[in-house]
Order: sequence, then C-alpha cells, then structure tokens
Amino acid sequence: MSTDPRIEGYAKALFEIARAEGSLDEVEDELFRFARSYESSDALRNALTNDMIPAAKRQAIVEDLLGGKATSTTTQLVSMVVGSGRGRDLPAIIDLLVARASSSKNLEVAEVRTAVALSDDQQARLAAALANATGKQVNLKVVVDPSVLGGIIATVGDTVIDGTVRTRLDQLKARL
Amino acid sequence: MSLVTAALVQIGHFVAAGDEVVVDSEGIVTHSSILPEVAEIIYGGLASVIIFGLIIKFAGPAMKKGLADRTSKIQKELDSAAEDKAAATSEAASIRQAKGDINAERARLLADADAQAEAMVADFHTRLDVEVEELRARAAADINTARTRGSDELRAEITRLSSTAADRAVAESIDDATHQDLIESFIAKVGASA
Repeated sequence: MSTDPRIEGYAKALFEIARAEGSLDEVEDELFRFARSYESSDALRNALTNDMIPAAKRQAIVEDLLGGKATSTTTQLVSMVVGSGRGRDLPAIIDLLVARASSSKNLEVAEVRTAVALSDDQQARLAAALANATGKQVNLKVVVDPSVLGGIIATVGDTVIDGTVRTRLDQLKARL
Repeated sequence: MSLVTAALVQIGHFVAAGDEVVVDSEGIVTHSSILPEVAEIIYGGLASVIIFGLIIKFAGPAMKKGLADRTSKIQKELDSAAEDKAAATSEAASIRQAKGDINAERARLLADADAQAEAMVADFHTRLDVEVEELRARAAADINTARTRGSDELRAEITRLSSTAADRAVAESIDDATHQDLIESFIAKVGASA
C-alpha cells in the first residue's frame, strides 16, 4: 500500500528526533497510546483538526492533555504535527513511526486489544506466544478497548487472531 | 205632412220671398235676389258648354292616358303582389320542407348521440371495472408490503433491542476472573498454535 510522502516524511522526522533524544521506546509507546485515544475520541479529533481553532490553541490543548503524563519529547512532537495542520494524519504518522521503530529493532508491531489491562507477565507471555505463532519477534502494543467485551484480538502485519467475546457475540447474532 | 213636402214648402216660401223686384240708385232692376236673369242663364250656359267641350277635346286624351296609365300601374302592382304571394307561398312550402328535414336531421342526430352515449357508458363501465380491479390489486399489494415492512421493522427492532440487551448482559456477566480466564485461554491457544 502506497503512503502519502508527506506522512512518510513526518514519520521519519519524528522517528529521527525520538531516536536522537534517546527515548525512542518510550516516545513510540506514548505516541501509540495517544493515537489510539485520538481515534476513539470524536471530541479530541474535532478539537485537533478544526481549522477554525487557531494552531496555537490546538497546541495548547495537546500540551494540556499530555503535560505531566507523557515525556516532553512526545508532547512536543504531537504539538508540532497538530500545529502544522496535519492533525488528521496523526494516527497514520504515528503508526508509520511505530512500524519504523519496530523494523529498526527487527520486530513486527503486534497490536493487541483487550477489555482490561494486561499485566507485565501476561504481556511477556503473549509476546512469546505471538512470536511462536507467527514466527516473528513482535513489538507488543496493548490497547485497552472495552468494546471487545472480553478476550483478546491481536493483529500482526496482515494476520489477525481474534479471541474476543465481541466477535463471538457478533457471530451468534449473525447466526440468529 | 211628410218631411219632403215640408221642405218643398219652405223652399217655395224662400224663392217667393226672393222674387221681390229691387231697383238700385242707378236704375238697374233686379227681379230676384236668388235666381239670375234669363239672359245671364243663356250666356252662362253657352259659355259653360263651350268650356266643357274644349276641356273634353283637349284635356280628355291626357286624362284618358293618365287613367290608362294608372290602371296599368295598378294592374302591375296587382300582378307583382300576385307574384310575391306565389313566391311567398313557394318559400313557405320550402321552409315547411326544410323544417321537416331539420326535424329528421335532429332525430338522426339525437339517435346518433344516444348511440354514442350508450357506447361511452359501456366503455366507461368497462374501464371503471378494470381500474377498480387494478386499485384493488394495488391496495392488496400495498397492504402486503406494509405488513411485510412492519414485520421486518419489528424484527429489526427486536434484533436491535436483543443485541443491546445481550451486549449489556454479557458485559455485566464477565467479571475480572472471567477476563483473566479469557486472556490466559487466548495466550495458551496462540502459544500452542505454532
């Protein structure tokens, strides 16, 4: 799938800045979680993409949201993207950055969605299980998503392993 | 005494009263205040005869011609009146004939109109029957569609409500232990799938 060169450019720039700052893993993880929050919140998405709101105001929203909860590098990177009017492309830029970061470590991004948070032990065993199942070392990214109801859905590249209650319930409804 | 006799007596008295001889200041004698003198009667009578003769001789032909022309004119007017009468009679006859034709034409037109009206009524009834049948069929189809749609909508609503209820019931029934069981089960299953 071809990607917009500008999105690739931003992803590469963010990746290089985070690596230069020496906090790639942390920044990558924070950006990933911010991207998922951005996708799930209409209010946040509208606030950061509304052209009627001045760029400085949008950047202030980002700093209010992330200040004290994320590293200053993460906050500045998101603020820069939003301030340059690329708020709509934020998830795509971050996903590309995460993929690039994982690739630099010979890892494949594994996006995992669960209804409740996973413990460190569960994350480690799940990463091992996914590596065993796909034959690739994975960079696990956990998203807490109550809409899955229960269980886990894991996406590694084009492979989707779905063990959620939501999917089983949908299948049951479809059968009914 | 009759009235005639009385009148003659009165005339006699009047004439007798006129026979009194009168002599004027110049010596001229008048024998009667009513009757002219004898000589005057003779001369006047002769003059009258001569005048009448001259009138008959010279004015007679013109008068005769005028009378003849007037007779001829009156005859022509009579002839013209007769011709006009004949023409009027002929015209009246033709009018009566035309009236008869008009009556026949009117009767024919009325008959045609009646026939056309009957045909139109028959055609109208036929089309009305067809339209009523179409309306009935359409109404039946509409009722059937509405019934099906109502049934579908009801089914969809039931499905939506039951889906929401199922989501809520499932979400509430999954406690933390179940979540952990599901997660562990998934990890074990994925780990064993290689």
